[in-house]
Amino acid sequence: MDAYRAAGVRLYALSYDEPDALADYAEAHGTTFTLLSDPDSEVIRSFGILNTLIPPDDHPWYGLPFPGSYVVDADGIVVAKFFEHNFAIRPGPEQLLAAALGTEFDVPEIERPPDRMSVDVAIDGDRLPMGVTRQIVATFRVPEGQHLYSEPVPDGLVAAAIELDDNDGILSYEPVMPPTSPLTLSGSGDTLAVYEGDVVLRLPVAQNARNMQKDDDGRFVTISGLVRWQACDDVECFLPESMPFSFRVEAGFPVLGDMGPGVGRVPAMNGAHHFQRLIDRRAGTDSGAGE
Amino acid sequence: MEIELDTRGGPTSGPYYEDVEGFNMPEAPGHGSRRIPRGDFPTGPEVGTRLPDIVATDHTGRQLDLHDDRDGQPAVVVFYRSAVW
Repeated sequence: MDAYRAAGVRLYALSYDEPDALADYAEAHGTTFTLLSDPDSEVIRSFGILNTLIPPDDHPWYGLPFPGSYVVDADGIVVAKFFEHNFAIRPGPEQLLAAALGTEFDVPEIERPPDRMSVDVAIDGDRLPMGVTRQIVATFRVPEGQHLYSEPVPDGLVAAAIELDDNDGILSYEPVMPPTSPLTLSGSGDTLAVYEGDVVLRLPVAQNARNMQKDDDGRFVTISGLVRWQACDDVECFLPESMPFSFRVEAGFPVLGDMGPGVGRVPAMNGAHHFQRLIDRRAGTDSGAGE
Repeated sequence: MEIELDTRGGPTSGPYYEDVEGFNMPEAPGHGSRRIPRGDFPTGPEVGTRLPDIVATDHTGRQLDLHDDRDGQPAVVVFYRSAVW
């Protein structure tokens, strides 16, 4: 949150919970951003994102949105949005803040001869909590006069890409790639998609709950893979190259939904009480249960 | 838009289930709160459009208009399932 405050970016989180449930949550977790209450799902409906796979008579669950996030600029215009099929996946706070600021992930500049390609690979966070995406960020500094290709490419050429090894339990999502320009080859007449200048590729990754390549009893997770590319100039192509990477990061856990005291839970908020009230209210039998 | 229910996945060890991506859950895929879409589903206002007005009560009991409250600053607006469960 400090990073959001420093950047002047406001954070709002809206759910179908009652205001007093949100007040308890904010107190239990020391929340410093704004929690918004939409108990009748009016805002969710007005956005057209009510989860209509849930029938209206399923009282605890009806009214949920297809979860996702919007990033708006100072004029209130949506500049990015993040929606995944699986509610278990959500973008990390760094990703949302970067989208709000329109900034790139900051990769340190390294010394290199001006005529040589340099490639850095990094992960944009030091933890990988379950279900929260982090990005593998590959930065190619491309010498003047050279370029890289995007998929699809004909046989014999290698597009710039981030490929993960078969890390059990690590999921990858749609890569984020910069725009390309068309380049028509004089020989074959093929038109290829070319990246101009330096190139930053991002691959969102998340961990699920499967046994995976863990060490130290699951406190860390290792994500490994390969960055591939082939540079060409106007005359010739250089040999395809690749660079392996391996990141060992803390596995981490998100704040768990709190349904009462238990191992790994925050016992300060009586979630069960609020859940019972939610069911009662929706069933039209609000008796003030649990009060 | 026809939205398809994703029922892929199945039981795993203990009383748990696992969805197609390997996330554990206490209910079978496609049941209860685990009704997630497969294929296209609505994601609301498009990039490049103004975020629709949001007027709602916050956790302090204050009624607020999001566009007024953000006071000319950029904002991140998260729609999530629940703070309770």
